[in-house]
Amino acid sequence: MARIMARPFDFPLDPARVALIVIDMQRDFLEPGGFGESLGNDVSRLQAIVPATARLIEGFRAAGRPVIHTRECHRPDLSDCPPAKRLRGAPGSRIGDAGPMGRILIAGEPGAEIVPELFPIAGELVIDKPGKGAFHATDLSAHLETLGVTQLVFAGVTTEVCVQTTMREANDRGFECLIAEDATESYFAEFKRAAIDMIVAQGAIVGWAAPVEAIVAGLAAEEGAKQAGSETSAEPAPAGSAPGESARAASAVSPAPIGFGAGL
Amino acid sequence: MTTTLDERIDAAFVPGGRTVASDPYPWPFDGNLKPQNTAIVVIDMQVDFCAPGGYVDSMGYDLSNTRAPIAPIAKLLEVARAKDFTVIHTREGHKPDLSDLPANKRWRSQRIGAGIGDQGPCGRILVRGEPGWEIIPELQPIAGEPIIDKPGKGSFLATDFDLVLQTKGIRNIVLCGVTTDVCVHTTMRDANDRGYECLVLSDCTGATKLENHLAALDMVKMQGGVFGAVATSDAFIAAIA
Repeated sequence: MARIMARPFDFPLDPARVALIVIDMQRDFLEPGGFGESLGNDVSRLQAIVPATARLIEGFRAAGRPVIHTRECHRPDLSDCPPAKRLRGAPGSRIGDAGPMGRILIAGEPGAEIVPELFPIAGELVIDKPGKGAFHATDLSAHLETLGVTQLVFAGVTTEVCVQTTMREANDRGFECLIAEDATESYFAEFKRAAIDMIVAQGAIVGWAAPVEAIVAGLAAEEGAKQAGSETSAEPAPAGSAPGESARAASAVSPAPIGFGAGL
Repeated sequence: MTTTLDERIDAAFVPGGRTVASDPYPWPFDGNLKPQNTAIVVIDMQVDFCAPGGYVDSMGYDLSNTRAPIAPIAKLLEVARAKDFTVIHTREGHKPDLSDLPANKRWRSQRIGAGIGDQGPCGRILVRGEPGWEIIPELQPIAGEPIIDKPGKGSFLATDFDLVLQTKGIRNIVLCGVTTDVCVHTTMRDANDRGYECLVLSDCTGATKLENHLAALDMVKMQGGVFGAVATSDAFIAAIA
């Protein structure tokens, strides 16, 4: 057990039961020329967290702990897209319409893909989610149960929408939740600040908040202690993240290769 | 204005509504049967369960029980599609890395010599993307029909089935497929608990053992229709004609 300096008080990291969830770091939300920017958002705010998010992912991979990625997207026939969600988009740029990077928020389209810098490696779970929360209408719960995970560290975008919704879902389900403050971002600075304040309020009513550096250090300290206390050498870390290698390996899991519900 | 549950039930009844000649009550309960609120759900009509050379076949089970529903389902789908009913298909299967396969499910499947994820006669058994996991050619989905990939027996667990039904405004579910006592029943029970009005078609379902098929249909009819009602496909087709 490592203690991570966090708000509103130390987070008791259990390195045997923790997983990382990286929410919706998709091209359409982050890249210039994508759907998010076409709506008038400043995507450079979101781009800025990519390096910290990459360090966090590396920390989990090095510690041999699960990294789970989510993508907000819908079935091509929109049968999982509530009309109330679709109709709030401006005509011509609604979910399913032709966007700058393929059909907007549709599974399998280029814009729905995770940005290359943070691409999943083989064996990492990718959850395609039709809602803001990653538990709704997905198999995330079943996977976490199988993995024996009880603690979740959150990164991704946007803080007040998909990250916070998923964190609240997880909190109600009994997970201990920690948000990586510098690996999450919003198009609106004040919303990020307010969302994290709400999370840590009233004695961590939704969860804790800590910087990436503290989280990675906590994981590494545990890993080091484990190796020091063991006669045999530790398992090698999972495959590294050299860009070429990641892209190749990830093709097995992303985009989902089969059927409409393949991510589910 | 508040209403009691009984008032809401009375209000739900459609004057001169349509019902299916079914057992133990004319289905649906309120006569509200129309293409817009009714889905035909075809459960797991996959090569491994009901095609020659699939793993159920290779285990030595008599395929006639799971193949019997094919022709009636094909006829039903033809009529239902012509009338614009929603058709939804399910496939039981696991991710290639088996990360969604519970340990006890694999262990039990290995004990009978058909380990999920192991090489079977039609590719890796119950693994998504393998030939044995595909829906049989006779009942292939057509464009626009949602396919629910499910890791369990029930179609709601760890899937977006409920969301798809809600988005399409579905209230009535007509169940077909295999096997009556396992995946069809689990799905029917789950749907029933969620308030969906369910009908299972006796000739469009089948089990590996005929006794289990019959017992499963019987269970539905207990207690005034504890899980819904049972009808033949002819009766359903007559009702929507």
